[in-house]
Amino acid sequence: MARGAYLMQLGTVPYREAWDLQRSLAGAVSQGAIPDTVLLLEHPPVVTVGRRTDESAELHLPADAGVEIVETDRGGKSTFHGPGQLVCYPILDLTRHGRDVKRYVRELEEALIRTIAPFGLEGQRLEGLTGLWLSPPPRKIASIGVHVSRWVTTHGYALNVDLDPAPFTEWITACGLEDATFTTVARETGRPVTVADVRPHAVAALGEVFGLELEELPAGDGIGLWTQPVHAELAKR
Amino acid sequence: MDAARARRAGEAVSERLDGVARVYDEIAAELEQALAHVRVAAEHYRNELVPRGAAHAWAAHGHLLAARDHLEVQARDHADHAVAEPDT
Repeated sequence: MARGAYLMQLGTVPYREAWDLQRSLAGAVSQGAIPDTVLLLEHPPVVTVGRRTDESAELHLPADAGVEIVETDRGGKSTFHGPGQLVCYPILDLTRHGRDVKRYVRELEEALIRTIAPFGLEGQRLEGLTGLWLSPPPRKIASIGVHVSRWVTTHGYALNVDLDPAPFTEWITACGLEDATFTTVARETGRPVTVADVRPHAVAALGEVFGLELEELPAGDGIGLWTQPVHAELAKR
Repeated sequence: MDAARARRAGEAVSERLDGVARVYDEIAAELEQALAHVRVAAEHYRNELVPRGAAHAWAAHGHLLAARDHLEVQARDHADHAVAEPDT
C-alpha cells in the first residue's frame, strides 16, 4: 500500500537555499512533523564538491567562469548543476524504506531508469559507479549523491535534461571520472525536451519505486499552509 | 558538611546547570532557524513564489516542534525535581 508523501516543485532555487531547506525539512521528517517529502527543482549554475572530492585534481574552472563553488556534506565527488537539469532531493525516513543506504541508492537509480524510459532511453547501472549511464559507449546522464543522518536522507539525483554538458569536463572532472562523457535527454532523443516534460515521469517513477502517493504541496493557486490530507492523518496520531 | 563535600556538591550543581544551559542553547538555535525560515517564507510569498514559501514554512514548523519538544522535556524535568510545599 502506498504511503502518503509531500511533493514540492520549487522552480529554480539557489543551491545554498535548497540545502538549508533540505536540512530543516529532514529535521521535520525525522520528528514525524511532516511525512516523507520530495523536492524537485533546478539550480542556477553551481559546482558542488562532496566529501570524497580531491579539489586540486577535479576543479579546473576558468577564471571567468563566474560560478559558485559549494562544499557539501553529500557523498561522492564534484559535480555541476545548472538550468535544464532536473534535481530531485527525496527526504525520506529510511526506517520506513528498509534501513539500507545501498538499497536506497539502487532504488534512486531504478527511479531514474523509469523516468527516462518513456523517452525511449535505456538507462543502465555501471559496476562500481553510482549514477545512471547510457551505453555503448558509456555516457553519464544522471548523477547521484546522498547524505543520510538518523536514517533521514538528503541530497539525491541530478538528471541532465537539456543543458550544455561542457562544464562537467571543461570546468571540473565531474565525479572524479577522467575521460568520462556526459549527455542529456535532449541530446540522446535528438529533439528539445524540457525539465517540465520530464518532471511528471520523475514523480510517477519515485512513487512506484518508493511506494509513495505523492501529494503536491501546495497548489500554485493557494496560500500554502492549509490542511493537507496527509497532514490531517498525521495530526490524528 | 566538610569543605570537600561542599565543593563536590557545588560542582555537581554547576555541571547540572551547564547541561540545562546547553539544552536552552539548542532551543535558541532551533528558534533562530525557525525565524530565518519564516522570514524567507514571507519574502517568497511577497514575490508570489508559493511553493518555495510553503517549503520554508514547513521547515520552520519542524524547528518549532523541535524547540517545543526540548522545552517540554525541560518542563517535565523541572516538575520531577520540584518539591511540594508541605501542608500546614
